[in-house]
Amino acid sequence: MATDKKTIGITKANAAALAGLVSAGRFGSELDAAKFAMAYAIKAGVTAGSTDGAETKWNVGSVDPDGSMRSLLEALCPESAEPYRLAEHLMNEGIKSLAVKIGASGDLYETLFPAPPSP
Amino acid sequence: MLQLKALHVEDFGPFKGHQTIKLSLQDGVTVIYGENMRGKTSLLNAVRFAFFGKVLGRGTKAMSLHKVGNWEQAAKGTYGFQVQLEFKDEDHEYKLTRSCRPRNGVSTPSGDDDYAVDYYLEKDANVLGPQQAEAELKRILPEQISRFFLFDGELLQEYEDLLSSETDMGRRISEAIERILGVPVLTSARTTLLRLKEKSEHREATAAQGDQKTREFGNQLADLHAQRQVLNEELQRLEGELDSMRSQKASLEEAMKKKERVAALLDKRETLDRLMREIEARRALKQTELQQAMSGAWCALLADPIRNATKALRESELALQTELWREDVLRGLQAHAGSECPACLQKVSSDARKRIESSIHGASDKERAEKSRELAALRRKLAALEQHAGAARTDVLRILWEAVEEAAVDHAAKKGERDEIAKQLESVDEESLRKTKADFESTIRHIDVLEKGVAKTRASLDQSKSDAENIQKRLDKLAGGNLGTERRRREMFSDLHRLFDEAVGAYREQLRKRVEADATRLFKALTTEPEYAGLRINDSYGLTIVHQDGSDIPVRSAGAEHVVALCLMGALQNNAPLRGPIVIDSPFGRLDRGHTKNIVRALPTMTKQVVLLVYDDELPPDLARNELKSKLRGEWRLERRSARHTALVPRKD
Repeated sequence: MATDKKTIGITKANAAALAGLVSAGRFGSELDAAKFAMAYAIKAGVTAGSTDGAETKWNVGSVDPDGSMRSLLEALCPESAEPYRLAEHLMNEGIKSLAVKIGASGDLYETLFPAPPSP
Repeated sequence: MLQLKALHVEDFGPFKGHQTIKLSLQDGVTVIYGENMRGKTSLLNAVRFAFFGKVLGRGTKAMSLHKVGNWEQAAKGTYGFQVQLEFKDEDHEYKLTRSCRPRNGVSTPSGDDDYAVDYYLEKDANVLGPQQAEAELKRILPEQISRFFLFDGELLQEYEDLLSSETDMGRRISEAIERILGVPVLTSARTTLLRLKEKSEHREATAAQGDQKTREFGNQLADLHAQRQVLNEELQRLEGELDSMRSQKASLEEAMKKKERVAALLDKRETLDRLMREIEARRALKQTELQQAMSGAWCALLADPIRNATKALRESELALQTELWREDVLRGLQAHAGSECPACLQKVSSDARKRIESSIHGASDKERAEKSRELAALRRKLAALEQHAGAARTDVLRILWEAVEEAAVDHAAKKGERDEIAKQLESVDEESLRKTKADFESTIRHIDVLEKGVAKTRASLDQSKSDAENIQKRLDKLAGGNLGTERRRREMFSDLHRLFDEAVGAYREQLRKRVEADATRLFKALTTEPEYAGLRINDSYGLTIVHQDGSDIPVRSAGAEHVVALCLMGALQNNAPLRGPIVIDSPFGRLDRGHTKNIVRALPTMTKQVVLLVYDDELPPDLARNELKSKLRGEWRLERRSARHTALVPRKD
């Protein structure tokens, strides 16, 4: 049985983008922004994978103190046997995609409140 | 009576080189036409500079002399200017020359300090000594009353202040009016007599001290006189200081009036700064709330996946649960063989029992435990999905987000407005404006203290006088030494002082009546409103329009204000011991054609010599010619040569 990760990290390449997301002022912490990026990746269809070269940023205890995130990931991505490794991957993928989408403006409005589909 | 003969200007304002305007000595009006920026105000200023060495900008603020010289000449390196005024007074011919030249050693002046202003006065072709020249000029046209001879039509508005006894401007104008009417001659005599009366009282007290019988009263009176002298000196000092403070207040008021627009901009900028701070605080608060709410924003993105996953897991849960329930029912039936089916309450047949047993044998305990674990895991996932679905609402987030955005937009709008104001204030000396404001407030406080001091000193003086009168009465019953002579002297000065005191009041009253009558006569000729019956004068020489039904007209337009002010000017000229020419800049700017016609027709009756500085639309030449007829003594034109060069030429069209 595979051993899941105990820490979660962000690659060097994504660290600046994550800091940029936070400095735009909408997020109170990098962790909130990273979780948002994770959700963005899931919504975009990423459900598996792992990221190499991530530098440890948080302990899983800080990221998911009650384990509910792990359960959620298990529910949403049942193929993954290592939810935290997946979470790390999703965070990194999400940060990368968000950085491309919103650029330097940091405007997440349309991402968060998408316009309803026109009838 | 002062009459102007010619004005020679050299490099003064737009008047490049040496130029001359000649004025007729015959009674009547000379009209000088010039469009805006050609130099009408400069001509008025040239006369003012000749007499007083001052040049006024719009309003009454002195202009920098460095800026008065002709710019084209200055560009060529020639600085400074000169004005020569030829005039007649009391059958004497005068030539007054005043120049402003760079000081020795200054080749390129940069400010007023780099210039020296000199003047000399010739009387009947003899150059007068400096003191004599100064005395002559003060007699011919004292600066304090120059406002009635040389004035800017736009400033006639100031005379409205005479209707309010409390303004310093009104007080200053009122004092100037009394000066031109000659009241100071009487009031100075009254002051001299008061001093003489006090001196005689002191002499009487000294005489009383010399006699045994009256010594005690003499001593008391001498003490009171000494006290009165100190109080008088103190009163004089306080009143002098008060006067200068009031003048300062009026100047500051005027300066503030001129800076009103800038002050309003500064106030607006301060308000915007305050609003921006408030908006920023609101934005920061909402931002913090938003940041807190954003910790759950990731769940909002997962709303759809969570919904789909929940649906799928619920189906799995139901299937698994049903399977386990079925097993439990079957096991129960097996355990209670022979009993009825708990669902249909029918007897369980032997065939059915066999099928139950075979089904139960198919599912081992291990498998059942596995299914139970699977179900528990499913439920854990469902609980997690439900938990995060609850946090996936975006309505609160949207409200907070929009509140932050709204505050940011509001802040940006205010900042834009503030930046615009800052741009307008770029060249403004804010420090000077703040200083003016602070000085004004400090002057008001100072005036308040001085007024209280004057009132207190006057009360002490009254008390001292009353005490002295009581002692004087008791002393009057006694005689001795040369007391009789001193007493008669004191009584004489006392009577004379009372006489002049009453005379001042009576003269003022007479003057007011005469000024009111003359102003009314002029007003009736000037106004185009037939229901206006005349003007009523107040104690400060302010004039109120009276309707034919006897009521006062409480509010009047700027145009009406000009008409009333011109009536006052005419009435003052008519009643003043000192008369002279009137030089008016743009007097008809605010008047309609009807009033303009009436005023032009009445001008020759106001004084012997009138010089009008006007533009064609303000006073069309045909109108002036028709209304003035033979009283039109000359027509001149300010002709443009370049933006900085105007030529004075006789008008011949």
